[in-house]
Amino acid sequence: VFSGEWPGENNFVFHAPITSPVNRKLEPLGPHFLAHARRKRHSRTFSEDDRL
Amino acid sequence: MSDSSAEQEAGAVIGIAFGNTTSSIAYTSADGKAELIANEEGDRQIPTVLSYLDSDEFHGGEAKAQLVRNASNTVAYFRDYLGKKYSEIDPTNSHHSAHPIDADGVVSFKVVEKSGEEPSNISIGEITTRHLKRLRDSAADFLGKEVTGAVVTVPTDFTEAQREALVAAAKGANLQILQTIHEPIAEALAYAAKENMQPEDRTILVVDIGGTRSDASVVSARSGMYTILATAHDYETGGVQLDQVLVDHFAQEFIKKHKSDPRENPRALAKLKLESETVKRTLSIAVTASIGVDSLADGFDFHSSINRLRYEIRAQKVFDDIMKLAEQAVQKAELDLVEIDEVILAGGSSHTPKIAQRFRALFPETTPIHAPFTDAAALNPSELAARGAALQAALISEFDVEDIDQSTHPAVTVAPHLSKSIGVVVVGADGSEEFRALLPAQTAVPARRVAAFAAPAEGGDVVVKIVEGVSEIRKTIIEKKEEAVNGEGEVEDESEEEEEEEEEEIKTKHMKVDKLLAEALLKGVEKGQKIEVTIQAAADTSLNIAARIVGTQQGVRGVIAAP
Repeated sequence: VFSGEWPGENNFVFHAPITSPVNRKLEPLGPHFLAHARRKRHSRTFSEDDRL
Repeated sequence: MSDSSAEQEAGAVIGIAFGNTTSSIAYTSADGKAELIANEEGDRQIPTVLSYLDSDEFHGGEAKAQLVRNASNTVAYFRDYLGKKYSEIDPTNSHHSAHPIDADGVVSFKVVEKSGEEPSNISIGEITTRHLKRLRDSAADFLGKEVTGAVVTVPTDFTEAQREALVAAAKGANLQILQTIHEPIAEALAYAAKENMQPEDRTILVVDIGGTRSDASVVSARSGMYTILATAHDYETGGVQLDQVLVDHFAQEFIKKHKSDPRENPRALAKLKLESETVKRTLSIAVTASIGVDSLADGFDFHSSINRLRYEIRAQKVFDDIMKLAEQAVQKAELDLVEIDEVILAGGSSHTPKIAQRFRALFPETTPIHAPFTDAAALNPSELAARGAALQAALISEFDVEDIDQSTHPAVTVAPHLSKSIGVVVVGADGSEEFRALLPAQTAVPARRVAAFAAPAEGGDVVVKIVEGVSEIRKTIIEKKEEAVNGEGEVEDESEEEEEEEEEEIKTKHMKVDKLLAEALLKGVEKGQKIEVTIQAAADTSLNIAARIVGTQQGVRGVIAAP
């Protein structure tokens, strides 16, 4: 909810990055992993993949 | 395309759950449902046993029955020996069948394959090949076509050498292993298929209680992708130990009557073991079970019965060990029991009502415990691994082996997982702020989530706060008192000691805001409109944020830079 003065000039203000993620190993099975693998191997984004 | 892919199209692919005690085969039907395949004897749980008598090879239930009369030519419990040196194996479970021997470091079995001939040495690889061949043939007979490929489940602690040995053994059986997959994930996949593969974000505890070993795994399922957070193994807890509880119980009864211990005679012990296992299974569905063995020992027949309660009291230590294993896995994942969203009990021993009850008592009432005794819609725990393997086999049946290898390569499977949950702050009607997660912790990136929220009742400008959140465990003391309803005065009259006795500590999980990442301003939101927030985490762990008013062109976009 909006409170007080809006600090920035733009409508979007960046404060801090996320906490560093940890590298883990995905289990290579299931339809959703296969879709992930397909995107990764062809360097596609979600929206590019949706269009196909 | 190569010749091999043309061949593959002609043949069928199946899922195989290869266990120490039993193995199962399954296929996925045209409508996408995984089904178990029964072998010629009608067994869906096929004992992982091979036996040799009069130049014939027996397999499954027929071979298992020979543990009584032909124990030295019967090979059982061999899965975990595969791909290991003789010095690395624990042959305890094979003491009452063909004992593994050391043939230049290779685990082998000395059995009489042809009657009248000298015993021959069969290597563990060859035994596995023969077992897989029988499974493949049973599946081919049922499906009416040749089986060319299979997805096989293995425990999470299977080494690379064991996987290679398995693939090599299958090649000997003219069976191509398309992929080896982890048992707990196959089991989770079987349940996901039941829900039509709806990608829910959940943290799942999978406890696989087998015959000779039990394994517990904590798995994070995020948008249908699975990551193992922690595993724990116990090689001395399982169905065999439960059988032993009954063997000891009946043996004591027999001694009382006849002054002789059937456990001292190998053949009597083998008979008692087989019958005790049947009694154990009966006790999973009925509250009493009877046993009858003709000429058990010293020519005496044995007839008796046992009720479930007495069995449960005697088996308490085994149950305790299973609970300990499950808690250990959760602890290793650095989670609290209340952070587990669901529990899947897999493996044959998960039919035991008391085990499901113990899990029911360990977790909050809202946590589903998937086992036949606690969930009427539960799948058969013995079938889960094979079903999961069959589903995966169907998914990749069209792929080339090269494709599968590339997709399972670490370059694809290793991905950054979010350390903390990412979401927005939602203000409730009473003005309290609450964290709503869009991307929960342990989500692999890239990932995308969309959620819609109601705009505040008064309308106006709306600030969307994108934040990181962490879970905290709150302990609340609940007094189990009925007097509290009668009025506050009476409660205070109670003595303090009494109150403490009746107190129960309840732990609940809450999410709290940890760090503000970004804010977005949406101007002039009208009453009753909805605000849609999209968070897209890129592979470099930067976040793309989009907030818009549903049904309008109005929106804000922004980027949260990568750390």
